[in-house]
Amino acid sequence: MRIASRGLLLLGAALAIGYPWLVPNYYLVYAGVLTVMYAAMATSWNLLGGFTGYVSLGHSAFFGLGAYGTGLLVTRLDVPWVAALLASALLVTVFAVLVGIAAVRVRGASFVIVSIALVSMMNLLVQGWRSLTGGSTGLQVPSPFPGLHRGETHLVFFYLFLLLLALALASWWFIGRSRFGAGLRAIREDEDKAESLGVPTAAYKVAAFALSALFVALAGGLYALWFGSLDPIFVFSILIGSSMVLMSLLGGARHLLGPLLGALIVAPAGEYFLVALGETQIHLTATGLLLILVVLFMPEGIIARFAGNRDTASIPEQSAGQRLEGAAR
Amino acid sequence: MTSLRTHGLTKAFGGVLAVDGAGVELRDGEINALIGPNGCGKTTFFNLITGMIRPDSGRVTYRGRDITGHSPHRVAHAGIGRTFQLCRVFPRLTVLENMLVAVRRTRLRELLAGLHDKGEVERARHWLGRMGIDHLERAEARHLSYGQQKLLELAAVLMAEPDLVLLDEPAGGVNPALIDRIVTLVRDLNAEGRTFLVVEHNMDMVMGMSDHVIVFDRGRPIAAGPPATVRNDPRVLEAYLGV
Repeated sequence: MRIASRGLLLLGAALAIGYPWLVPNYYLVYAGVLTVMYAAMATSWNLLGGFTGYVSLGHSAFFGLGAYGTGLLVTRLDVPWVAALLASALLVTVFAVLVGIAAVRVRGASFVIVSIALVSMMNLLVQGWRSLTGGSTGLQVPSPFPGLHRGETHLVFFYLFLLLLALALASWWFIGRSRFGAGLRAIREDEDKAESLGVPTAAYKVAAFALSALFVALAGGLYALWFGSLDPIFVFSILIGSSMVLMSLLGGARHLLGPLLGALIVAPAGEYFLVALGETQIHLTATGLLLILVVLFMPEGIIARFAGNRDTASIPEQSAGQRLEGAAR
Repeated sequence: MTSLRTHGLTKAFGGVLAVDGAGVELRDGEINALIGPNGCGKTTFFNLITGMIRPDSGRVTYRGRDITGHSPHRVAHAGIGRTFQLCRVFPRLTVLENMLVAVRRTRLRELLAGLHDKGEVERARHWLGRMGIDHLERAEARHLSYGQQKLLELAAVLMAEPDLVLLDEPAGGVNPALIDRIVTLVRDLNAEGRTFLVVEHNMDMVMGMSDHVIVFDRGRPIAAGPPATVRNDPRVLEAYLGV
C-alpha cells in the first residue's frame, strides 16, 4: 500500500514535469499553466483554511496585490523581474501580518465577511488610484522573456508555477508534521480549548495567515509576469478567492493533496466550458452547482470520501458497558 | 500558603453583577472547592481567573505574580491548567495528539520540529496510563466515550505540568464508578504536590474530597473553611435553602 501510493506520487510528479512535452499544442500548455497556478493557489489557501478552519474568501486580495506589486516594480522602477516578484511577495506578507492581526480576531461567518471586505477594499483602491495603477484600464507588464514567443513563455511559466506548487506542498507537509501544525489543527478543532492549554492561538493564526498570503502573492506576481496584462476587476475578484476555497473543499482540505486534486478537476472543467460554450457565464453556474454538491455529499472532500478513514477503523466496536469499564479501570 | 488570590474582582454583564468584588484565597497544596447555588457567579469567577473574560475591576495574582487580564495561554504558561464544564477535547485529533498539543513550546526550532518527540510521547503514555486510557492512543478523540474524554481532558491538562489545576464540574454527566476513579486520581495528584480548585454541584463529592471549601453567593464568597465547618454555617444553609 505504502509503496503503491509512493509509486503513484512519483508517477504523478513525472507526468506533471513531462506534461508540456506530452500535449500536442500550446493551447493545452496554456491550460496547464492555469491549472498548476490554481493548484498552487489552492494549496497555499489551504495553509490557512485546511489547518485552522478559517475560510477566507478574500485571498484574491493577496493574489492581486502580489500581481500589482510585481507589475508596478517592473514597469515603474525597472526592477529585475525576480527581485520584483520576491520584494512584492515580501511586502504583501508584511501587509498580511497587519491585516491578520485584525482579521483573525473574529471567527466563522464574521471572518468570511472580513475577508470579502478586504478584497473589495483592495479592488476599489487599485481602481481608484489611477495615476499609479492605471485604474480600471489595467496595467500592462512587459514579458520578462522578450526573446521567447508566446508558446515558449507558457512553457517557462508552467515550470515556474510547478516550482511554486512544489514549495507550497512542501510547506504544507512540513507544517503538518510539526508541533506548530498540531497547534493549528487544535485551533480548528476547538480554539478556546487550545488557548487554555497554552497555545498562543492569535500568534499561530497570524503566522498561518501570513504564510498563506505569501504563497498566494507569489502566484499573483508570476501571473502578472506571465499574463502581461492586469485587470483589477479580475485579479481582485471574489471569484478567484472562491475558486481556491472550492478546489480545497472539493479535494479535501484536511489532506495535503486535496486542493491539488480539486484544482485538477475545477480548472480544466472551467476551461472546457469556456471553449465549448464560448463567453457565457455557464461555468459560474456549474461552479456553484459543484460547490453545493460537494457540501451536500462530500463535506470532507473527495479524498476523505474515497480513501476512507484509517483512524476510525482502529477502534473496535465496544458495548457501552465495556467502554465505561475501560474508562474506570 | 497562598497559591491564587483575587482582590475585589468584579464583572458585570449589562446591569447584572455576576461577580461582585470577590476576594478569594486558594490554599497552596490543598484541594480547594468552590460551591454555590446556580447563578451565584462560580462560572464567571472561573472564567475571570483563567483569562477567558476580563474583569471590570479587581486583581488576580498567582504566587505573587499579577495575572489580571492575561490571555488564557499566558495564564496556562504561569502554571494553571483547567478543564471545561462540558469536557472539551480536540475531536478529530488522536488521543496522543491531544496530549502532545498541550506541551509548551517557545522557540521557533521547537515549533518546527516533528510532533512525535520520543520523550514527550513517553510522558504522554505515562499520563494516559494513569488515566487507564493508554490503549486508545491512536484513536481519534471523538470516538471515545464521554467518560474516556473526561479522563483524556484531565490527562492533557496534566501534560502541560501545571501547579494549580482547576476542574469545572468533574463529576458532571459521569457514572458513579468513574466519579470514584476521578476522586482517587485527584487525591493522588494532590498528594504529589498539585493544588486543585474544584467547582462542583455534587455535594458528597465536594465534602468528601476537599480540604478547603469556599461558598459563593451573589457573586462573592460568603463563607470559607473546612468542609465540616462550612456544612453547618447558617449563611450557607440560607444561601442554599433560602431559609
